Amino acid sequence: MSEFEQRNSGVVAISTDSKFSHKAWLQTPRKKGGIEGCQYPLLADFTKKVSADYGVLQEASGVAVRGLFLINPEGVVEAIQVNNLPIGRNVDEALRLLDAFQEHQKNGVVCPIGWAKGKEAIKPSDAAAWFEKHAK
Amino acid sequence: MSVRVGEKAPELTLDGVVKGDFKSVSLKDYRGKWLVLFFYPLDFTFV
Repeated sequence: MSEFEQRNSGVVAISTDSKFSHKAWLQTPRKKGGIEGCQYPLLADFTKKVSADYGVLQEASGVAVRGLFLINPEGVVEAIQVNNLPIGRNVDEALRLLDAFQEHQKNGVVCPIGWAKGKEAIKPSDAAAWFEKHAK
Repeated sequence: MSVRVGEKAPELTLDGVVKGDFKSVSLKDYRGKWLVLFFYPLDFTFV
């Protein structure tokens, strides 16, 4: 969590479970499959409206698939990842995306394939220099 | 309806659990901050 806070970012999780189910899960130890100690909000989309609004509601089962939305400080969606049910996400990738969008916001650069914090990004006004140096 | 990059995220206000307490949370609460908003199918599964 502190890694997100360092990047001026919150984290919020949503499922179609009730808030009472969330509370029970939050009180269950990690070794028993719980998430005791989890610091970010768990929200209950019990009517499934929000999941439908975000396009992640699986109609047949009534649950939300594993969607991730990166939203900027103005409330605009910057990135979307949606995984079908069996596959989890990657926290490092969420942090990498935050770093990349913040790098772009701060320095006006664009971040090419595989970019991560500490690597050189591309200055749009001088893209040729980047390719000269990095292209294989 | 669906969500696209470059467009406003749909507004939302939901009840939930924040640090052990029942609380209502809105997208608006995060204006001025980045937000990683994620959906998962069910409690007691992995996320």
